Amino acid sequence: MRLRVAPGGPAALKVLAAAGAAAAPVRLVWGDPLERPLASLSPPWVPALELDSGTVLFSPNAICQFFFLARGEEPTDLTNQWLEWEATELQPAASAALYAQLVHGKKGLEAVEALGQLLDHIEQNLTRRGTAYLAGDTKSVADVVVWGALFPVLQDETSLPSELQALRTWFQNMTLSEACRKAADSVLMPKALLEFKSYLQKHPPPCVATERATSN
Amino acid sequence: MAAAARPGVEELALLEKLLGLPRGNKYGVQGERKIPVLQTNNGPGLTGLMTIAAHLVKQAKKDQLLGSTAEEKAVVQQWLEYRVTQVDGGSSKEDTTTILKNLNIHLEDKVYLAGNTFTLADILMYYGLHHIMVDLTVQEKEKYLNVSRWFNHIQHYPGVRQHLSNVTFIKNRLYTNAH
Repeated sequence: MRLRVAPGGPAALKVLAAAGAAAAPVRLVWGDPLERPLASLSPPWVPALELDSGTVLFSPNAICQFFFLARGEEPTDLTNQWLEWEATELQPAASAALYAQLVHGKKGLEAVEALGQLLDHIEQNLTRRGTAYLAGDTKSVADVVVWGALFPVLQDETSLPSELQALRTWFQNMTLSEACRKAADSVLMPKALLEFKSYLQKHPPPCVATERATSN
Repeated sequence: MAAAARPGVEELALLEKLLGLPRGNKYGVQGERKIPVLQTNNGPGLTGLMTIAAHLVKQAKKDQLLGSTAEEKAVVQQWLEYRVTQVDGGSSKEDTTTILKNLNIHLEDKVYLAGNTFTLADILMYYGLHHIMVDLTVQEKEKYLNVSRWFNHIQHYPGVRQHLSNVTFIKNRLYTNAH
């Protein structure tokens, strides 16, 4: 199977980290530097996973899920819930925060503040369950997907308020894992977030779902 | 407007009935977007349409509706995600056009969203698109011919439509591109 990603594309991070974490035998193809948003679902889009059957997956979360499914890790209610939450709540907010940070030059701390409630949600879940990972004691697709959305905004756990102790520990743990570190290195380094900036500048600013819902 | 499945709790009630589950699940809603929450006796419950729908399918022991192979399962999940992020998120005419265009391309060579098998993705996409399809003109239905064919197929699938209004599709084309 071939995994097509765009250098600097924000979603490339999570699919590469998932491929690494699930030890998926993918052939990596660096595509068009313009990562196409989901809205224009006409090939060739990136990131995309082309399976040997000819099927092409276009959703970054479904691509991540496929890698874990392929090695026998079935989704659970909890992993499903994290993936849905990431797609509907976290991702739109994280994209908006990243945009504010890189394109509008907002301070990192302000961008983190914009994610306040969502970060609290993760903290509360980790504390309540008392597990090292989001969906239990072992790393799952949920951890990779949520980490992939947060990493571009946070970069390292020091930008997180110290009261979010469980989140800090989890985030640091993820960032230091081999799969995530390698993904970050290949997508972001050495030019780091400049790649994100040039990507974001070529696209309309993301809007948060709750704002859109009221516009009708 | 004709009876439509509003995203969320009502739609989950339709799904429960379709799956043949006994009534008894209790639902709540959360936040401005009224995200459904399935209440459970122990713990905080389950949140989100995709998550609860998949849970109900497993409860009814109809796991094949979530796909059989790893590939099918990922494809089903992808279209469920498309449903909750794009179809529910979009509200403008432009958003609707994009969704119909994308689906029309995808369904060009497929009977169902996941290929040759009927899955949860078809059910939730049907409920999510119902309010859009009832408002389409005859000309629009012809423009998105693959979507129309798929939608008509799903609304006639046993147990799916229930009290929702039947959307009519004309068998013979009225408009042609020939001139």
